[in-house]
Amino acid sequence: MKHVVTIAQSVKRPCLVLVAFAGLGLVGCNYDGGDPKVEIGANPQLPKLQQYLIPPIQIARVVGWGKETPTVPRGLQVHALATGFEHPRSLYVLPNGDVLVVETNGPKAPIHRPKDLVTPWVMWLAGAKAKGGNRITLLRDTKGDGIPDVRTVFLDHLNSPFGVVLVGNDLYVANTDAIIRYPYQEGQTSITAPGTKLTDLPGGPIDHHWTKALLASPDGSKLYVGVGSNSNITENGIQAEYERAAIWEVDRESGAHRIFASGLRNPTGLAWEPETRKLWAIVNERDEIGPDLVPDYLTSVRDGAFYGWPYSYYGQHLDPRVQPQRPDLVATAIAPDYALSSHVAPLGVAMYASTGLPATYRGGAFVSEHGSWDRTPLSGYKVVFVPFTGGQPSGPAQDVVTGFLNENNHARGRPVGLAVDRTGGLLIADDVGDTVWRVSSDSPRSASTN
Amino acid sequence: MTADTTSRNTPDRMDLPVGREPFHRMLVPLAIACFAGAFVTDLIYWQSVAVMWEMFSDWLLTAGMIIAGFAIIAFVIDVVGGKQIRLLTWPRAVGYVLAVLLSLVNTFVHTRDGYTAVVPTGLTLSTLVVVILLFTAWVDWALVTRRRVGAGT
Repeated sequence: MKHVVTIAQSVKRPCLVLVAFAGLGLVGCNYDGGDPKVEIGANPQLPKLQQYLIPPIQIARVVGWGKETPTVPRGLQVHALATGFEHPRSLYVLPNGDVLVVETNGPKAPIHRPKDLVTPWVMWLAGAKAKGGNRITLLRDTKGDGIPDVRTVFLDHLNSPFGVVLVGNDLYVANTDAIIRYPYQEGQTSITAPGTKLTDLPGGPIDHHWTKALLASPDGSKLYVGVGSNSNITENGIQAEYERAAIWEVDRESGAHRIFASGLRNPTGLAWEPETRKLWAIVNERDEIGPDLVPDYLTSVRDGAFYGWPYSYYGQHLDPRVQPQRPDLVATAIAPDYALSSHVAPLGVAMYASTGLPATYRGGAFVSEHGSWDRTPLSGYKVVFVPFTGGQPSGPAQDVVTGFLNENNHARGRPVGLAVDRTGGLLIADDVGDTVWRVSSDSPRSASTN
Repeated sequence: MTADTTSRNTPDRMDLPVGREPFHRMLVPLAIACFAGAFVTDLIYWQSVAVMWEMFSDWLLTAGMIIAGFAIIAFVIDVVGGKQIRLLTWPRAVGYVLAVLLSLVNTFVHTRDGYTAVVPTGLTLSTLVVVILLFTAWVDWALVTRRRVGAGT
């Protein structure tokens, strides 16, 4: 015990010197994050904001899966649906059961600051620099044995695509800079017809948060687009944030759009809650103000609402890094519904209303947490289940798919996009393992009901 | 051709043995210019909140640190190589070391995102560095002048 204290003191002393040296506070020394669980749910405990001298970086080195698979709790099983993708990021299931795998990565980031020279190395170490295929691959399981026997390139030569949605015979792909419509007939395994642009989306030249999540309204008249911010916290200037950090509502006929909700830093996934038919989103919050700030979240999205970014977080908590401030906007900022914990990086959401998985998973949201890179200890790197009752989260998030980190905190994979297939299996895109995993019930009875 | 004969007959500065001037002394003013520049761009950012000026500060500080790094290496080589280190007075040595250490901290402060990359800590540090460098120059000048006057009499 005494030993521990001595070590702790010897670690603390240079920090104190550093604080004294910097002359002014704002140099936090306690870089280790607390228990992520206290930041899960409707009322997360938010610590005081701290600013760093050296930006924290802790990344999970990539080791790959080898012969291993993710871990699931009793009652579930998991297997690789298909492997060998080029950075698979999102998934979409067509009405005939075909699975679309969007293989993609962000465009090349410009160098604006000396910091931008370091970032690519960090991302490379974390396996996030892999080239995206810029294409969509189709998987078809004709025998119904859970192993796809048809695999074709469905759409090629895209521009950092992410969201996909089918309305009638119109297939929409959200590239990073535009929504493109393609004609689709059921059963088609590849599309060669040229696409038609529905609308431009905020893209380059910076394009910091490049993914564009896509969802159609139940009646098919509108498309909802998750457009992430162009920076961590407006360091590229507020002008670069025009119509970003928002969810767009795009008219499917005209391509005209309006801002449905704003102040959402990076809304990476959209879904309809099946009971109340409300729009929900997962959002990645800001970095570099502490290991336990700001919790990423899952929230219902109200028409016209402002969720704080960049001026404030979780309601009215001011962020001093934004100038000039906007007290008028902050006064209107609303807090999200459900915190997922800080830096877990939710990148996929699937509301589960199917019957393929055990009854405990009926009614709730699966959320994939890509995992932190700027927090010690690591957080995320798993798929969780948030139970819902009456259209609202009704309990703590449960770990469902784990094992993306091994015992040495090295990454075998990182979960991204989620989808529910025709027989109720949960599909998970893994952009480091370059695999699509399928989670299903392990009881043969529920399998036979497929 | 004519230039050759001229230089042979009437030696000019080019014919003086090269390398007598310690190499590090050529780098020091460059580093100082970068740190002084960062102070100016920090001031402008503070007043304008236009991110371009904060970017200038970032690059100036980074460039200043790299040049200072080379200057330190050159200084070591100059000392090891037995070059005469003239006029490295103690206030100058202390002032430079302080300025470089504070600028190192400032470079990290400037890696922050947004306003707090500059205000208040970054701007305070770049001001402090400029004050230290000016004070160093003044003390140094005073010392050298006094010594020269003393030597002359």
